[in-house]
Amino acid sequence: MLRKNDKKTGAVRVLAAVLLVLSLTVSSLWAADKGGVKTQVIPAGQINDQFDADFADDFDNEFDDAGDVEEILISDPLEPLNRGFFWFNDKLYFYLMKPVARGYRLILPQSARIAVGNAFYNVATPVRAANDVMQFKFKSLATELYRFIVNSTVGLGGLFDPAAKLAGVEKVDDEDFGQTLGYYGTGHGFYLVLPVIGPSSARDAVGSLVDTFADPIRYANITTLEYYGVKSFRVVNSLSLDRDTYEGIVRDSLDPYLFVRAAYAQRRTAQIGKVDYNLYDILTFEDDFWDEDFNPFKWLGN
Amino acid sequence: MMKKVLFAFSLLLLFAPMALAIPQPQAEVEMMVSSVLDVLQQEKLSLEEKKAQVSGKVQEFLNVSSMSQRTLGAHWQGATNEQRQRFSELFVKVLEGTYLNRIGDYTDGEVQYLKQRVKGDKAIIDTKIVTGEMSIPVQYKMIYVNERWQVFDVIIEGVSLIRNYRASYGEIIRKEGYEGLFALMEQKVIAMQGTAGE
Repeated sequence: MLRKNDKKTGAVRVLAAVLLVLSLTVSSLWAADKGGVKTQVIPAGQINDQFDADFADDFDNEFDDAGDVEEILISDPLEPLNRGFFWFNDKLYFYLMKPVARGYRLILPQSARIAVGNAFYNVATPVRAANDVMQFKFKSLATELYRFIVNSTVGLGGLFDPAAKLAGVEKVDDEDFGQTLGYYGTGHGFYLVLPVIGPSSARDAVGSLVDTFADPIRYANITTLEYYGVKSFRVVNSLSLDRDTYEGIVRDSLDPYLFVRAAYAQRRTAQIGKVDYNLYDILTFEDDFWDEDFNPFKWLGN
Repeated sequence: MMKKVLFAFSLLLLFAPMALAIPQPQAEVEMMVSSVLDVLQQEKLSLEEKKAQVSGKVQEFLNVSSMSQRTLGAHWQGATNEQRQRFSELFVKVLEGTYLNRIGDYTDGEVQYLKQRVKGDKAIIDTKIVTGEMSIPVQYKMIYVNERWQVFDVIIEGVSLIRNYRASYGEIIRKEGYEGLFALMEQKVIAMQGTAGE
């Protein structure tokens, strides 16, 4: 297309085209920047652990037969029993807890109920902090301690959250002993629906029990009855702030029991995240471990 | 010199479409969310009117065939074309009903767009719904098909909606067969329409 004597105009045209494309590119990037949103473009072939793990959902396997394998999120050998307790909890929710929460909502304005929720959250700091330590999450630990000190004092016993509102130190992810066990490689075990308490698992039920030892309310000078009263109050308070999540699940899902079970399993797995220190792998000698490191023939170059 | 310019030009041509594609996935999510919020935040409309107006708006942003296929998972292979078709139709209605029932609760929320990641034809958009007392992380997974970005999964607080459906529906199919599932879905759709005015 370019004739020799046209070289200059040709070059000018190309330059103009380059500029056009450049300006388009830049303006589109700028448009993305304008919203102040971080944009990360990963070249298609590149392996990016974070992206690939987040994407995880077998999209790459869509066309091979990985779809034949049924995904079990959590095993449920006690399903009949669990369904019984689920039914019981459902009735407890609709006929006792929810009506009480509605009445409570009328007595206390929302801002006050949020403050009560804050105080409960603040008191439970030792539980989260202890589990931060056990999972080497020192930044979270420091954040928890800072928030605890500031909110307990300036925030009037944790009713308010000046640590976040004034100092900008936001909440970090909750940690509990179930997650700590998961951090070291423990799976769900099996699904459990506990009466009154609700969805749990073999691992998380143990976790909740262990966590009570770090719960300051346990050591308060109150009777057992009062202790459960405080716990119930916390539940009623949080229900009063909830936007009918459970009602929505019951209304919209084909089988609420199955929906809650799947959601529980997924949520706990997400909370635990990547397992860095799988003790079960470390403590069991894998075959290839023997093969590769203790096979003298391999040392000799076979 | 000429060659260099041409080379630079071809490089740009190569990368420009990619660069141009960057803002799109998140823009699609934003369009979807705001098209719904715009309706919901009109105070004059009754909830019923709002739902009628929102209905159908979300569908074009979703990749329904991909969502249906993923939801049935292993059972997609075993289904006849008719069953697949029937499932897709019912599933869209269930999804829409669920969405419409829930969205009303979060109209006062503000949606923050945190991050978008694009890798080839896949994208992950991180957002957060912030209301007075809580903030809920919501992640959208998207694929690029038919020259646009479409959502095929929503992950709320680490819970993938599609995965949840897959686990529940798979179990229902195993126990009651496809027809059992369809019957349950039909019942649900009717029940949802019944409560649409609440």
